Amino acid sequence: MDLIHAFLNLVPVTLSQSLIYSFIALGIMIPFRLLSFPDLTSEGAFPLGGCVCAAFLLAGYTPLLATVAGALTGVAAGAATALIHLRFRINPLLSGILVFTGLYSVNMRVLGRSNVALFSTDNIFARINPDILTNVGLQIVTFAIILGAVFLVLRWYLMTQSGTAMRVIGINPELAPSLGINPWAYTVAGLGIASGLTALGGALIVQLQGYADVGMGTGILINGLASLVIGETLTGRRTVLRQLLAPVVGAVVYYQLLSLALSLGLQPSDLKIATAALVLVTLGLPFLRERGALRETMRA
Amino acid sequence: MDPQVAASARGPAHAAPLLACEGLKKTFNAGQASARPALDGLDLAVDRGDFIVVIGSNGAGKSTLLNTIAGAIEPDTGTLTLDGRDITRLPAHRRAGMIARVFQDPMIGTAAAMTIEENLALAERRGKGHGFAFNLNAANRRRYRELLAGLELGMENRLSTPVAQLSGGQRQALSLVMASLSKPALLLLDEHTAALDPRTADLVMAMTRRLVAEQALTTLMVTHNMRQAIETGNRLIMMDAGRVRDDIHGAEKSSLTPADLARKFKIENDRMLLES
Ligand SMILES: Nc1ncnc2c1ncn2[C@@H]1O[C@H](COP(=O)(O)OP(=O)(O)OP(=O)(O)O)[C@@H](O)[C@H]1O
Ligand SMILES: [Mg+2]
Repeated sequence: MDLIHAFLNLVPVTLSQSLIYSFIALGIMIPFRLLSFPDLTSEGAFPLGGCVCAAFLLAGYTPLLATVAGALTGVAAGAATALIHLRFRINPLLSGILVFTGLYSVNMRVLGRSNVALFSTDNIFARINPDILTNVGLQIVTFAIILGAVFLVLRWYLMTQSGTAMRVIGINPELAPSLGINPWAYTVAGLGIASGLTALGGALIVQLQGYADVGMGTGILINGLASLVIGETLTGRRTVLRQLLAPVVGAVVYYQLLSLALSLGLQPSDLKIATAALVLVTLGLPFLRERGALRETMRA
Repeated sequence: MDPQVAASARGPAHAAPLLACEGLKKTFNAGQASARPALDGLDLAVDRGDFIVVIGSNGAGKSTLLNTIAGAIEPDTGTLTLDGRDITRLPAHRRAGMIARVFQDPMIGTAAAMTIEENLALAERRGKGHGFAFNLNAANRRRYRELLAGLELGMENRLSTPVAQLSGGQRQALSLVMASLSKPALLLLDEHTAALDPRTADLVMAMTRRLVAEQALTTLMVTHNMRQAIETGNRLIMMDAGRVRDDIHGAEKSSLTPADLARKFKIENDRMLLES
């Protein structure tokens, strides 16, 4: 009973954090689902956004500028992965690994040491409303508004000619050029936007938690992927709206599940394998089911 | 017919061809012992309004020629001039406003996960750029409905159906509509009915003739179907080993019989044997 209580007490805090992790899940959905590009950049873009934002704050820049700077360096990281793949024909996974490996050193340089506290610096949330950092209800409303705004912009973009053209790159890369769609431009832009969102998540989370750490990216990719696939089992992928909702819904559900697992006594280090297993099962089940159905029809 | 007579018959106004391929060469896997040129110094002039049927045995270089014209393949040497402009090094997506194509594989010519209307709207922006206006609106939806109704393919009430749910024939028909929607200067068809059953192939072929005639599209069509080759187009070229071996046009094309074609093909094959 106590365990359940502990979990229920954590629900609002977890919800508040998961709204920020939704940015990362969105940043993973865009390459994986819209561009069919398995992009691992987020593992480096998330701490990059956090570290750059922290460095700007420590240097005394305004929180808005620091946040935007963090997000923009993420855009550059995503674009770098895209260009490595396009220019040198390097496998997408390896391109992402090259970038996030290199970014570890960059983050260390940017931060100057492996972690810094930001309690004494200015903070974008404190600027919006001084109570946000202590009032979870207010946090949830604020994050939901920011997330909602980003969501609406993405929704709008994907309905434009340009957004539809970007989706063609993921659906049928051979067709794209013959429709006048520049594969390079859209891949670079798409991966840039995606990693920009992930880095924005990093910039927001360091300001929420009050510290930045070069190791904060470890496992962020698998968490985002888990959020995405959980969301997809709930929303489906039939329309662009559902595909766009999946990472948000999924992040909210996934982080509650994590919190539940922790309050049931699982070690944080055990959660990695639990998450990996979860992703495996969610991705693997439809395949097994399909094969099962195939076997049925063969037998019939 | 003497080529010079043919040229003057077309009149001085059309002296410059729409598309000129000059000395196109392309060897895949150059450097390997087995490397044989897919295009071997190919010359071809396509006049405005030409509907050229391209035939030739497997591996003759027909697809490579169309891919090179579309920009999907870059030639090793040679030049491509379209409407007086050198397009040899222009990337495929920047030629798309002038050159449209329908592929052999029905899966390639459309974006399967998108709806019919989304595909049409994308195709309509070919060469005009894809901007930040909504891809779909009431006006273009209405236009697409009318357009498809005129084609009598039963697609006009399925505008918001994903293309993945269409049959291969419907997809090829849609592909063809998409290719002609932005009034390309040049239409490339590479065995676009080969994957269809005979009846559907005839339907798509009839639609092809109608669209090409209505819009006076300059067209290059590859086919292995000798009946199509005889019944279609004003000009027929036969390719072999990366070159144009025969160019039949004018009265000779319109009076061509299956027997003529078979004889020509046999001569080609004999020549190939002699040369190899
Ligand atoms: N991408 C490629 N890589 C390597 N070789 C290729 C490639 N594309 C074509 N070739 C080779 O180039 C030659 C010409 O091929 P092409 O596809 O142009 O022939 P085709 O006339 O279209 O034949 P078919 O009637 O079978 O479609 C062939 O020897 C083929 O093996
Ligand atoms: Mg071919």
